Amino acid sequence: MTEKNDVLVKVKDLKMHFPILRGVIQRQVGAVKAVDGISFDIHRGETLGLVGESGCGKSTTGRTILQLYEQTSGHVFFEDKELNALRPEEMRQMRKKVQMIFQDPYASLNPRMTIRDIIAEPLVAFGAVSGKEINDRVRELMSLVRLDPDFMSRYPHEFSGGQRQRIGIARALANNPSFIVCDEPISALDVSIQAQIINLFEDLQKELDLTYLFIAHDLSMVRHISDRVAVMYLGIIVELADRNEIYRNPLHPYTKALLSAIPVADPEYYEGHTRTVLEGDVPSPANPPSGCRFRTRCPIADEQCAVARPEFREVLPGHYVECFKVNVPEQEKEVI
Amino acid sequence: MTEQTSIPSGDNRELKESVSDRKISWLERVLGPENYRIIKGLFKTPASIVGFILILTFILVAVFAPLIAPPVGKDPYKIPRDGFGGEPKAPGSPWKRNVPEIPFWYKTLTGKDEWVHLLGTAQGQYDIFYGIIWGTRTAFKTGLFVVVVTVAIGVIIGSVAAYYGGWIDNFLMRVVDIFMTLPYIMMALILSAVLTPLWGRSLMPPLIAMITFGWMGYARIIRSDILSIKNRDFVMAAKVSGVKNSRTLFKHIMPNAIFPTLVLASLGIGDVVLSFAALSFLGIGTEVGYADWGQVLSFSRNWITSLDKYWYIVVYPGIVLTLFVMGWNLVGDAMRDVLDPRMRGKS
Amino acid sequence: MTNYIIRRLLMVPLLLIGVTLIIFGMLQFLGPVERSALYMKDFPKNDKQVEGIIRQYGLDQPFLVQYWKWLTGVKDPVTGEMEGGVLRGQFGYSRTASQPVVDIIRNRFPNTLDLALWTVFPMLSVGIWMGVKAAVNQNKAFDQAARIYSIIGTSFPTFVFGLLLLMFFYAKLKWFLPGRMSDWVNQLIYSGNFKSYTHLLTIDALLNGRFDVFWDALRHLIMPIMTLSYINWATYVRVTRSSMLETLRMDYVTTARAKGLLERDVVNKHARPNAMLPIVTMMGSSIVGLLGGVVITETVFNYPGIGKAAADAAAQLDVVTVLGMGIFTGLILIVSNLIVDVMYAFIDPRVRLN
Repeated sequence: MTEKNDVLVKVKDLKMHFPILRGVIQRQVGAVKAVDGISFDIHRGETLGLVGESGCGKSTTGRTILQLYEQTSGHVFFEDKELNALRPEEMRQMRKKVQMIFQDPYASLNPRMTIRDIIAEPLVAFGAVSGKEINDRVRELMSLVRLDPDFMSRYPHEFSGGQRQRIGIARALANNPSFIVCDEPISALDVSIQAQIINLFEDLQKELDLTYLFIAHDLSMVRHISDRVAVMYLGIIVELADRNEIYRNPLHPYTKALLSAIPVADPEYYEGHTRTVLEGDVPSPANPPSGCRFRTRCPIADEQCAVARPEFREVLPGHYVECFKVNVPEQEKEVI
Repeated sequence: MTEQTSIPSGDNRELKESVSDRKISWLERVLGPENYRIIKGLFKTPASIVGFILILTFILVAVFAPLIAPPVGKDPYKIPRDGFGGEPKAPGSPWKRNVPEIPFWYKTLTGKDEWVHLLGTAQGQYDIFYGIIWGTRTAFKTGLFVVVVTVAIGVIIGSVAAYYGGWIDNFLMRVVDIFMTLPYIMMALILSAVLTPLWGRSLMPPLIAMITFGWMGYARIIRSDILSIKNRDFVMAAKVSGVKNSRTLFKHIMPNAIFPTLVLASLGIGDVVLSFAALSFLGIGTEVGYADWGQVLSFSRNWITSLDKYWYIVVYPGIVLTLFVMGWNLVGDAMRDVLDPRMRGKS
Repeated sequence: MTNYIIRRLLMVPLLLIGVTLIIFGMLQFLGPVERSALYMKDFPKNDKQVEGIIRQYGLDQPFLVQYWKWLTGVKDPVTGEMEGGVLRGQFGYSRTASQPVVDIIRNRFPNTLDLALWTVFPMLSVGIWMGVKAAVNQNKAFDQAARIYSIIGTSFPTFVFGLLLLMFFYAKLKWFLPGRMSDWVNQLIYSGNFKSYTHLLTIDALLNGRFDVFWDALRHLIMPIMTLSYINWATYVRVTRSSMLETLRMDYVTTARAKGLLERDVVNKHARPNAMLPIVTMMGSSIVGLLGGVVITETVFNYPGIGKAAADAAAQLDVVTVLGMGIFTGLILIVSNLIVDVMYAFIDPRVRLN
């Protein structure tokens, strides 16, 4: 962990609503509120983990930050430049500094290109011409991700999932980015390979001074790699805190339920603890509950929670929660 | 950067052991691995091999037409006539007037010194053999012309619709819908009939008619392929890498999208030739006596009651036409089989 | 589902306008004099009349003006009445047939309809049956034969097949006949002893109690029916077969077998209904295609339907007639496509439940 004071990425009130078109003339009758007002900072050199159930909006967050989707409202700052306000060519230039690693190693590589061409594409997009220059750089990148550079003239389908993911990582690193959004990069891999790739992520972060937004739904993996963790539910962030703090002292009812669901390989553990099981189904993001989003499944919700959405506030130093029921400064310390 | 020699991570070791150094042929490099596998798959079934043989045979016939049936007079596409008699002559009957020169193969294959009507004649003494041989060229000319133009139109319209989306897409697809509602043959008849006074009796009116009403299928296919490719991760990855939109379209989207369209196009040649023959049979387009299979077949319309006597007017051109279409259909079927589970399923 | 139907219905006026525009547009290649026949009810009496038409319908005016007048008709300057117009059923006068185009349609369409009616069942049933049987007996003799048939069938041009049928069954054997009816039937109708209730010869024959007429009609219909059917069989065999094969591979079929059901029931109750869904779409368009006036088949067999009328007119460059046929056929297609699409909405659960 490095300097926490230097903010690299700043997200403010970000909203991403996808219109729902119905009816004969396809008019907008509603919207899928995939991301509905979130704010956070990411400091240089840190890894911010972003977790949540499927469909909570975490992938959309990552893509919207990178301007792959045009956000409905809100601001995204990178190094104090507002990304959403840039003109298309300016944003394109920014793509040397901000990058993404995709979830599906099979879909994210063009099957018709050799991996040399795939990895070199970011270089070519910004003017690299000389074949030798490109080849040297590709070799360098492949070694970085622990792939044998001799394989550069082969095609993606000749590689395993883990290797393809490495290729994707090499491509992302081509122009020396400082910030990488990792969109569930290991979810599609075999468990034995996952650990290898995670280790690679950590090594690269040290070697190249990278900043990660690490999106995942595997809580134990996130705990391993993140400095801070943000928990998302139905388009909003319900809790954000240091990694240790959030696992040791979850404040939001949703976070508590999520963490209690992590299996512990100790039968005796369960004698002292009950699992919090959430009732009901996740509401549709097209029609979220009024007030606090989580109230329909929250064990401690009351009438106040239906009226207005709680403020996302700092209840402890560095520990943010969006909930009416969490009061400063009393908290029950639960040892996990 | 840290210096790394080949680190034996688990992945790399496995790869080295399981995959020996594979030579990638130039063809594979040009086509891309997916398409290369498709081409290879084409030659696997006996049916498609038969198809290829058929097509190859026809190509050879078309290329060597002047040798097989030496032209009589200036225009080889005018079927030579042995006089003007009204009664068709049976195969093997002697050829008296307008006799062509004897080609090199004639004596050895038939054992005769003089030309006979190898396949008989129709009324007006048009030699059927010549009609069929030179009709092969007509078939290729018309088939290729129509397919190339309709694919071009379809691809342009479909790509524009898919790329721009929004109301442009909506509008273009409604236009496609309208055109698809029209009954093809009827429309071809109308347009041919309208254009013939302008153009005179030539190939062009029916060809233009067929093009005008035949591009829609391609537009739809390329549009849906582009739309599905557009959403695939590697296209988004290109955008993230900073690739410009136009380059993404040409380097990522089009090459992956266009192959199924080309497959459909190749099947289309058979259909085009079939439709064109039908139009000729109905009397639209080519003038009487033009070397075209449909034209020769249309001669049989005068002899319905005695078709058993003049069977050769129907059977010979009919078999040739069927074999031609069958060749393309066999190849097209094989292509469809190879493509279907793979490409369509993947997106 | 209602959404789907409403959207489908709204397409109809759009299609009508589009189709009529395109067809009318094709006419613009001709000069005003030739086009004037489009607006006449009768053979023109003199040149003055032709000029009058040109002026009235604005044949030298911009395209949209002409289009509108052609559709809705014009006010007769003398009588003040509205006359003409496609919407009023005025399709012009046919030079080659010497009668108004609508009369041609009125006379010929029942024949096409008769043929279509009798083709539907043989066309659909045999093809599907063959496909199912081939899939169930995969790679055995029947399957191999069916696959060969499907390849040959789709390659055989309709008119060649028709000619071969004629050659064999007519020229040689004289079992089946081209055309619509024998001479004696024709005379019978003109004599007035035969009441044409529906103008569909086969139905009328039965209604009149004349089985000899019925049989005669069938003898004329068999060859066209076979010609129309065989190519559809070939297509249906292939599609049904592959659809059945895919369905038979599904897990729920294996489960059904594992439950101990008779193979017959597995096929008929579980596999086939599901395999049929894509076939049903095809069936819709096949039927629609039949109504579209099967030009080639009618021409080969000299069958006096609207298809042949169009072909005859086209061969003589009588554009007006072909145009009228085109519009009529287009109309039929729009309506029948609509019916098929709506019916499909009821069948496909994905559309039904939206």
